[in-house]
Amino acid sequence: MKSSFPPYLRIVLLAAALLAFPLVFTGAFYRDIGVTFLLAAISASAWNIVGGYAGQVSVGHSMFFGVGAYAPLLLYTLFGWPPIAGIPLGIAIAIALAIVIGMPTFRLTGHYFSMATIAVAELIRIFVGTWDFVGAAIGLQGPARARGWWDLTFRSELPYYYIFLAVLGIVLATTAFIERRRFGFYLRAVKASERAARSLGVSVRRTKLQALALSAAFTSVAGSLYAAKTGFIDPDSGFGILVSVQMLIVAALGGAGMLFGPLLGAAILIPLQTATNTWFGGGGSGLTYILYGGIIVLIARFEPGGLLELWHRIRPRWSRRAHAA
Amino acid sequence: MLLEAKNVSKAFGSFLAVSGADLTVDEGEIIGLIGPNGAGKSTFFNCLAGDTLPTTGRVVFDGKDVTRASPEAHARAGIGRTFQVPATFEDMTVLENVMVGAFLRHPHRNDARDHARRIVELTGLRPDQSGRSLGTPGRKRLGIAQVLATEPRLLLLDESLAGLTPTEVQEAIALVRRVHQTGVTIVIVEHIMDVIMTLTKRVLVFNQGHVIASGTPEQVVRQDAVIEAYLGRAHRRPPPGSPPQAGAS
Repeated sequence: MKSSFPPYLRIVLLAAALLAFPLVFTGAFYRDIGVTFLLAAISASAWNIVGGYAGQVSVGHSMFFGVGAYAPLLLYTLFGWPPIAGIPLGIAIAIALAIVIGMPTFRLTGHYFSMATIAVAELIRIFVGTWDFVGAAIGLQGPARARGWWDLTFRSELPYYYIFLAVLGIVLATTAFIERRRFGFYLRAVKASERAARSLGVSVRRTKLQALALSAAFTSVAGSLYAAKTGFIDPDSGFGILVSVQMLIVAALGGAGMLFGPLLGAAILIPLQTATNTWFGGGGSGLTYILYGGIIVLIARFEPGGLLELWHRIRPRWSRRAHAA
Repeated sequence: MLLEAKNVSKAFGSFLAVSGADLTVDEGEIIGLIGPNGAGKSTFFNCLAGDTLPTTGRVVFDGKDVTRASPEAHARAGIGRTFQVPATFEDMTVLENVMVGAFLRHPHRNDARDHARRIVELTGLRPDQSGRSLGTPGRKRLGIAQVLATEPRLLLLDESLAGLTPTEVQEAIALVRRVHQTGVTIVIVEHIMDVIMTLTKRVLVFNQGHVIASGTPEQVVRQDAVIEAYLGRAHRRPPPGSPPQAGAS
């Protein structure tokens, strides 16, 4: 049963592989896939805290992503501030939003909670799309030319790659930290049975709100990074439902509620998505929906625990066979 | 007096599930709540545990009114409860399950783990077994272990022994005794008459929402109202493999 690699060595190898990737694959195309992969992994890992560990399946996380994406570009547009200054603002608004939205929606459980989050996120998207202050349907632009590194505007993909990788490291380290502490235990207990958790003294409402706030903060950072990388943001790319659905699918495909689940999901889904977009050109955006839909069906039908759980289940059998041989 | 429930009633629509029930529990007692199905004992039990808000009446624990307190506030105050169908956490090991309870008084992981380990030992479970792989007796035991880890002063056991084989029941009775010896006061809802007879010094008998009798199990068993409502039937049922016996006393 025991793997020949100690766990920390596996993490070191993984980190080394991620650090080396853009140096080995130097083409802009591969580096772009790498950056997109990291961004998907960051937002799905952020979603995982409340959606995976606490089992509160939000389909409205685009509201936090959008807030994070708009905040830096809004500060730039209004005052000419560097986008990096907008990141803390995004975090603050996302946390406030998480508490305001979480209080009423956490009265609902299961599908009702998921539906409520869709409704709120869509309302925000439509509202932002008509609000001139934030550019309405056109959205906002970032700095065209960098005045300094703090503008987070780079010609090369490489700085983005390593900034995103560092943020991913922070999100995963935070998740690993809480996973083993009381908060992590409470999240899993809330997911398994709210009634049992409460009977053991767990304040379910507060635990969920804390999880949502933390998740929202990280999701907002992902949004800020996205905006910095693309240099503009509009209601659909910030608050669109596809943004929420992608986080959910990436996490669920790899394994929701598991530390490295979202990373695995992103490693599979992002290259696949890029490939379909490349092969089928601009008309491929509809194909993304089909791909997502197909994956939802497959996960729900065959492997609700995601690929990591499948791996944990079949690995002992393989190693037994290897020992027998 | 550790717990006092006064004139507790609970109505669901026009149906009065519990009607004016009183109960006092002194520190160190084991008290049984019995009665036929639908008698209101579980509803009353849920009122004590904070899961159900009584329509009228008051529940006072250790001098504090806990009638309207949430289930988690009950746990914090020192009232622990188990469930008829144990709600254990499937994805966790036995030790992790118990740690969830232990975290209430031991916020730090190592303290919680040490405390949980002691409780798991007391209940005779294997700490590394997964919650999913446990059978009914194991789950009931784990349910008790989880709530014990919250260090309750009063333990409410909701049919913790139902669905067990006679041997398992004997083991579970021994466990409840061990728990009681550690100084925990216990209120137990139970169908199995043997359990109540061996464990408790005082019982309350519920029928149709009312407390129809109370006293030692021996006294209660002799009362006509009780025999008619519940024990008559239960005690006339012959034990397997022996000739039918009549009478309850």
